[in-house]
Amino acid sequence: MDKKIIYIRDTGGVSGTAMPDKTKDVHSLLLNGLRDRGMQDSVQAVRVADIGAYNQGVVVKVLPDTAYYGVKDEDLGRILDAVKQGTVVKELTARKEPKQLRIVLRNCGVIDPESIEEYMASEGYQALKKVLFELKTQEKVIEEMKKSGLRGRGGAGYPTWMKWNFAKQMSVDQKYVICNGDEGDPGAYMDRSVLEGDPHSVVEGLMIAGFSVGATIGYFYIRAEYPLAVERIQKAIDQCYENGLLGKNILGSNFSFDLEIRLGAGAFVCGEETALIASIEGRRGTPHPRPPYPSVKGLWDKPTVINNVETLANVPYIVNRGGDAFAKVGTQTSKGTKVFALTGKVKNSGLVEVPMGTTIREIVFDIGGGVYNNKNIKAIQTGGPSGGVIPKDFLDTPVDYENLQKLGSIMGSGGMIVMDEDDCMVDIARFYQRFCFDESCGKCSPCRIGTAQMLGFLSKIAEGRGEIGDLDNLRRISQSMQRAALCGLGQTAPNPVVSTLRYYEDEYKVHILQKKCPSKKCRNLLSYKIITEKCKKCGLCFMNCEAKAITGNKDDGYTIDMNKCVRCGRCFEVCKFKAVGKE
Amino acid sequence: MSKITRESLENIAKQKKPEDKNWIKVGMSSCGIAAGADKVFNILTEEAKKRNINVAVKKCGCAGMCSVEPLVEVNVEGMPQVTYGRVNAEVAVQILEEHIHNHRLVNDHIYDIQVKK
Repeated sequence: MDKKIIYIRDTGGVSGTAMPDKTKDVHSLLLNGLRDRGMQDSVQAVRVADIGAYNQGVVVKVLPDTAYYGVKDEDLGRILDAVKQGTVVKELTARKEPKQLRIVLRNCGVIDPESIEEYMASEGYQALKKVLFELKTQEKVIEEMKKSGLRGRGGAGYPTWMKWNFAKQMSVDQKYVICNGDEGDPGAYMDRSVLEGDPHSVVEGLMIAGFSVGATIGYFYIRAEYPLAVERIQKAIDQCYENGLLGKNILGSNFSFDLEIRLGAGAFVCGEETALIASIEGRRGTPHPRPPYPSVKGLWDKPTVINNVETLANVPYIVNRGGDAFAKVGTQTSKGTKVFALTGKVKNSGLVEVPMGTTIREIVFDIGGGVYNNKNIKAIQTGGPSGGVIPKDFLDTPVDYENLQKLGSIMGSGGMIVMDEDDCMVDIARFYQRFCFDESCGKCSPCRIGTAQMLGFLSKIAEGRGEIGDLDNLRRISQSMQRAALCGLGQTAPNPVVSTLRYYEDEYKVHILQKKCPSKKCRNLLSYKIITEKCKKCGLCFMNCEAKAITGNKDDGYTIDMNKCVRCGRCFEVCKFKAVGKE
Repeated sequence: MSKITRESLENIAKQKKPEDKNWIKVGMSSCGIAAGADKVFNILTEEAKKRNINVAVKKCGCAGMCSVEPLVEVNVEGMPQVTYGRVNAEVAVQILEEHIHNHRLVNDHIYDIQVKK
């Protein structure tokens, strides 16, 4: 007997207002309704945790495909009658759910990453076959890539076909291709998930890249902090050798290709291509000036193409479906999809893959489910330490390379961090500046000295010692770093500061002039006091104060001595009556 | 396995083997393992054997919903394909008993339902 299933979910009130969870009531109402109609054995009503619809009130879905949104208690009877008669209550259905589009993540979570058989059963290595026996020439593959409009997913968005073409045109005895798996942005883990979830697609992409530029040796550069990714890529490479997909005369063609893994020791700068090359060569991972670009003079002075993991995972799909089909997805200048690691103060953190041109609002609210704890969104941050913040006023911007750049951020590798009203922009800028300061390799002075100076000014402001002239100094240092630093890390390191200054200068000024932190985040600027009207004199704050800054007794009440207070916030947390004020 | 040739690659694509009728997939990327997917995978394999339930327990990569790992995807004949999230030992056993054996979905842990065409 084919059983029908109804499932329900309370998705919260419209526009994010908190609503008491009604699912339990609706569930029991449904159960009663089913019993009244004698349907309890043929229909199961199940409570689901999440089905990707948000801010729609109570959602009731009847499998296979009917969905009712904003269902009220009195509607349930009608829905059940419709289920019994096999009809639909039309007026409650209208709405389309936002959809993700999975190209890069097509196999992630679907196939066993450690099995080459499963990969081959889902179109695996068909693209390689097509390249070797149908397209046959390097020109045709590059032509396909050109049609697809694929741009590098590592951050800068350089057209992939151009990179390949430059390297192809060089006539030398040896060329190399490298997969850049040195993902180091705080909060970004797209590459790790692809390497772990679908290693063969990256291997196949790298092989096709190798064929197109005429390279016979490829390297995976993966950071050692990703042991599982390394293990699975190694397994994939081994399986390819066993099956004759790597080595001499692959599939009986005259294309030969070898692959090896190189481990990165976790320096952020090694994601920069010239530093990465130095690291593979066994030298210290520091960048050197470009040009010559790696596609002309790269690894061991030979032409080298370096592509990001996500870029390469797109390649087999493009070859299989054709460049034109791929170019249909996305915007005018940015084709295809982008994987984002949605993190921070968002309800559903995780990986999302959306077509280019999807708005930030759709990503954060429709797919991510909105802000955690129903707070108000303040901004989002993209591009990690090289990117910037995008204030909430620009949430309806369609995401692509150009639009993000206009807003003062970058696409980056795809971290998207959601920030709510509790996040202080000075603190955010300081966090990223500290990261860049720690990771600066120290080879060029604009970056080495610039990051240290900027961090100094930011700390000064956050600790309440800021002067108004510091803002101009920050701007001046930013400009000189952007112009004079040697590599991408140094040139983009000021971005978080520049973008927060651009949109949130007022917040900086409050820190400097009033010595206050509007988001109540910067510790040194906070002060605590006991609100006597609310205080029940329970003494909990007194007992919890490690610094002995709270004095008093259960009869007279308590006071906080701000000179002794270390601003740990413990009293604020423990007070059950919200009688400790923070400002 | 012997070396793959051009022809055998074509054959693999053609004879896409019909998927096992009943399977469970556990997301075993770093995010899943950190949340305890390893344990869930072991429990599912052991308990399925103990209860003589005919189901293939497999590993897969990250499906993207990292906030509700460990994720377990269940496909049983005659039932929609369901993704359970925040699966612990208890829920894993419930999935085997309720979903796979009794053909009833488990409350409060479903994060995605796909309708089979």
